[in-house]
Amino acid sequence: MLLFFFILFPILLMSMFGYMYPPISKSNPTTGNIGTAFPNLPVSLVQMDNGQMANTVAAKFIQISQQQGLFAVSETASYQAARNQLVEGKLKGIIIIPQGFSDALAAGQPATVQVTVDETNPTTASVVQSEISAVFNIIGSSMSTQDINNMDGGRVNPAFIMHPISVTEIPLISGVASSFQFLAPGFMALTVITGSLQGVAAALSREKEQGTMDGLLVSPIPHVSIILGKVMAQTVRGLIQGFLILGLSMLLFGVQIYGSPFIMFVVLLLGTASFVGVGIIMTAIAPDQETAQMMTMILQFPMMFISGIMFPIDQLPGWMQYIGKALPLYYAADALRKVVILNAGLNVILPDIAILALYSILTMAAAIPLFEKAMTR
Amino acid sequence: MAGLSLDSKSGSHTGYAIETIELTKKFNSFTAVDHVDFSVQKGEIYGFLGPNGAGKTTAIRMLCTLLSPTSGTASVDGYDVVKQGNEVRKRIGLVSEKMIMYPRLTALENLMFFGRLYRIDRNTLKKKSEELLEMVKLTQFKDKLVGSFSTGMKQRINVIRAILHDPDILFLDEPTTGLDPQSTRFVRDLIKELKQRGHTIFLTTHIMEEADELSDRVCVIDHGKIMAVDTPQTLKDRYNTNSLLNVFLELTGRELRDSANERISMRTPMGRM
Repeated sequence: MLLFFFILFPILLMSMFGYMYPPISKSNPTTGNIGTAFPNLPVSLVQMDNGQMANTVAAKFIQISQQQGLFAVSETASYQAARNQLVEGKLKGIIIIPQGFSDALAAGQPATVQVTVDETNPTTASVVQSEISAVFNIIGSSMSTQDINNMDGGRVNPAFIMHPISVTEIPLISGVASSFQFLAPGFMALTVITGSLQGVAAALSREKEQGTMDGLLVSPIPHVSIILGKVMAQTVRGLIQGFLILGLSMLLFGVQIYGSPFIMFVVLLLGTASFVGVGIIMTAIAPDQETAQMMTMILQFPMMFISGIMFPIDQLPGWMQYIGKALPLYYAADALRKVVILNAGLNVILPDIAILALYSILTMAAAIPLFEKAMTR
Repeated sequence: MAGLSLDSKSGSHTGYAIETIELTKKFNSFTAVDHVDFSVQKGEIYGFLGPNGAGKTTAIRMLCTLLSPTSGTASVDGYDVVKQGNEVRKRIGLVSEKMIMYPRLTALENLMFFGRLYRIDRNTLKKKSEELLEMVKLTQFKDKLVGSFSTGMKQRINVIRAILHDPDILFLDEPTTGLDPQSTRFVRDLIKELKQRGHTIFLTTHIMEEADELSDRVCVIDHGKIMAVDTPQTLKDRYNTNSLLNVFLELTGRELRDSANERISMRTPMGRM
């Protein structure tokens, strides 16, 4: 039950963020392919021109939208009616083919299509806007191709006139770069690290309140062994949790691992080591389990946002970046991402690893004497 | 007094099982134990009595190395509780107010776990555990989770947990509180039996008839100070009564002890995550 919550929650959060930040759609006007993260968004076409050109363009729009699964296109008689539907939330966008559309094209003038999008949701608004533009680009291109062929008699490649220079990307990694690919390693690091941080704090303070800690403390085993035992148990639990989350994101979101699982393991282990000390310190300071838990939460919550787990740290204001970079979670997530996505070797992530190791040593060095003292307060 | 003749395994120099000199514990401005001197002889049952908040538990925790004294010294079996904590820990067993048992382990698993902390080898430990389970009549429940036990059963196994490693000195902090009459009787007989086996027993209790029945000597403590130490009979004679309860009330007064203890009230009942 507990594990269920620990696994399900990060997955849920990850899917939320994954869909919030859709992948860059790699639309290509020459091949006519438009990728989308949001298939079949409802839009409506308002046709105010009944000329032949307008009908052709409208039909073409519907055809491409359906073929590529971009939009579920309906037709509405008036703009006002469509606008009402959009306000009610039934539509994500409206495409208006205004009066005089056919006449303009027939007269050899550029014609305009008008678009209204649901601006209450910026993400879908920009997706709808760019996808509509992309579809009309394709329609426009095919019209131009015909025109150029007609004028030129097929001597010049029409693409030379329309797009003399085109851009193609050499992918850094094969496959589609989805936001999940960015999110999964971060969430994995987050779960393992915060899981063991909270786990250690909870386990120690539970034993303290339950009374069994006394049983351990009156026995002739070194206090360090008690701490190490707790740390090890929680680390193993955290690691299992982390790899389960990775497994699930591979299954559910198509995340791929390009790097070595062994290096991932090393990074996670060090990431955990850098943080359990903090958990022990908090347990030592806190008078009871509830307070210890609250303290870890207070630390953990902002850490999720400023350590580059959910979005790249560059998107934050400068001072927040500094705080983020002072926390070990940033380095663990960064290193893990490099390993998972870019197949980085140990030499590449060495700076990250060194910082994590330093954190581990410092926090543990502070935690152990503090724990000793707190236990015989 | 039987104690002195018993040949125990101690490294004692003083001859006492427990000896304190000016032992003091302060929590901020509150003095829980105030320059206390007492000594417990080997093999005796020493009843440590006092109203709530008198400092009994604080004293026990210092003797068990769970708290460090603010000043003064205490030695257990001749070893200093601060400087030779580990030697002390090898020689003591503790039954505290809270059960020292993992509810999610079985009776035998609990005993095996705690026994291993004393580096008793597995086979010896298993035999010993089963023997002790038999002694407290819990053999048929040895593979059941301790969490499912009644309070009396838990306390019986809690007591044998404390003697797995055959400690010279056993600290029992209110061992019969909350038990039904049958379990109370059983635990009291068990305590007598443990004395017979040569353990020195340091016992706190609120039940005066229990202290009277079990203790060779009693020590009455109040407000962190010792009010009297003697055999129950001598004390009763001194106050010309036949009940130790009257002696206790004479010594500590009839006023109710309702003061809220900061250290306890700060703690909240734990909630499972």
